[in-house]
Amino acid sequence: MFYRALTCGAALLLCAASAHAEGTPIPHGTLELIARNQWITAGHTLDLGLRFQLEKGWHIYWVNPGDSGEPPRVEWQLPEGLTAGSIEWPAPRRLETGSIVDYGYEDRVLLIVPLHAAASLAAQQPVRLGAEVKLLVCSHEMCIPGKAELSLTLPIKSQPPATDAQNRDARNHDARNDELFTATRRSLPHPAPGNWRFSLADANDSFVLSANLGHRITQAVFFPLAESQIENAAPQKLLPVATGFRLTLRKSDRLLKPIARLKGVLVLSAEGSYLIDVPLSKPGAARSKAATVLESTQ
Amino acid sequence: MKRSTLYPMFLYPMLVVLVLCAAPPLISAAKIGATAPDFTGTASTGKTFHLSDYRGKYVVLEWHNNGCPFVRKQYNSGNMQRLQKQWTSQGVVWFTILSSAPGKQGYVTANEENDYLAKTQAAPTAALLDPTGEIGHLYDAKTSPQMIVINPQGVVIYDGAIDDKPTTDLNDVPGATNYVSLALQQAMAGKQVETSVTRPYGCSVKYADATH
Repeated sequence: MFYRALTCGAALLLCAASAHAEGTPIPHGTLELIARNQWITAGHTLDLGLRFQLEKGWHIYWVNPGDSGEPPRVEWQLPEGLTAGSIEWPAPRRLETGSIVDYGYEDRVLLIVPLHAAASLAAQQPVRLGAEVKLLVCSHEMCIPGKAELSLTLPIKSQPPATDAQNRDARNHDARNDELFTATRRSLPHPAPGNWRFSLADANDSFVLSANLGHRITQAVFFPLAESQIENAAPQKLLPVATGFRLTLRKSDRLLKPIARLKGVLVLSAEGSYLIDVPLSKPGAARSKAATVLESTQ
Repeated sequence: MKRSTLYPMFLYPMLVVLVLCAAPPLISAAKIGATAPDFTGTASTGKTFHLSDYRGKYVVLEWHNNGCPFVRKQYNSGNMQRLQKQWTSQGVVWFTILSSAPGKQGYVTANEENDYLAKTQAAPTAALLDPTGEIGHLYDAKTSPQMIVINPQGVVIYDGAIDDKPTTDLNDVPGATNYVSLALQQAMAGKQVETSVTRPYGCSVKYADATH
């Protein structure tokens, strides 16, 4: 406590940040607006983060919520020269409730939003970043809507913060945030490596996603970005092959028109998560692709 | 129904064929273009209703959970009540269906439901209590407020969301395209329902744990 009082005395800004460390209450959890750095740098992008902590048994939703639910929505109140980008969604989890499957997050999650600062911004006194977050928090038994008014005050400077350890010693809180942002960014879905090959075939009531990664894959889960393409609640049947895998995804029974491509996040437990966008093969092409995969597995 | 005479009878089989061809070769309880499965439901008033008694009328099924924020958006804005009044006054039969199991959000006793209907000035034909989830599972209802529209021939012509704004925000009600009204308007005008299937956004139906 004494140490904390000293720190607060030494840096008023840090004190203000610490006061919010517990976060703003939301239904069955807390939410906090945090920043990766201590200040905004003109002409640079700063990662802001919405840090959710949820009680056990409660969840929030991914950008495609699945069969039910609603993703959190943010409205920013920002001074001129600052613009917020879109939420960078980490890979979600399958949340099963009886016969339906939702996509979302339990426990803790950081939703990163990049904040772009115009180069023309003059260094000045602290500015207030405001965010109104509307969200839906659900358990298997019920859903509760929530709203949180968040804010963060940061100065604008012309030079980026130093990243050396010497400076970090003076701001433990900031260093912890930095690690959280680094870890979260690392876990975000990345574009799939250029030498990986994907194809998608139409197989009556299913789509078959074939992947050639050059090595055997024994665990893979696909999360569709668009709604009503695949049946969320249907088990995804994985067939490991020597060069990758084949994943059978049942078509949504709400899919009335043929789809041109399947876009979403592929989670490979060992390798991380990848953003993929696979065109549906034409019937003839599908056969030859399938044949290639079969040959390469033998 | 009056409008159905606008179309020569020989066109009907063709329309049905068209609808069936458009649907995927699947699987699920209530399908667009298929006959709506019959059910018997007990209303909060104690009265018994059989779906099959309403051949010759349009029927709307509305899945309800009074605690669900998506449902509250419709009721707190008065939109659901407005729709119920608008369509029942034109001869449409409207069943509000409560498939929440005892102990879960949205489960109510008959008396509680009657109080709710009075308080919110709701005007369905009946509110059917379905705590076992039998009717819900028969139609594979996933969410509240999922909506289904059945035509006078007993065929499902719409299954999905109430509108195109999948949010809990009351401000989104005025600008929304209501799929139920659109389906009823188009069908009554003898037209094909353009948007017959959508993702039924909302809260998951709070079924009893054992029944799936």
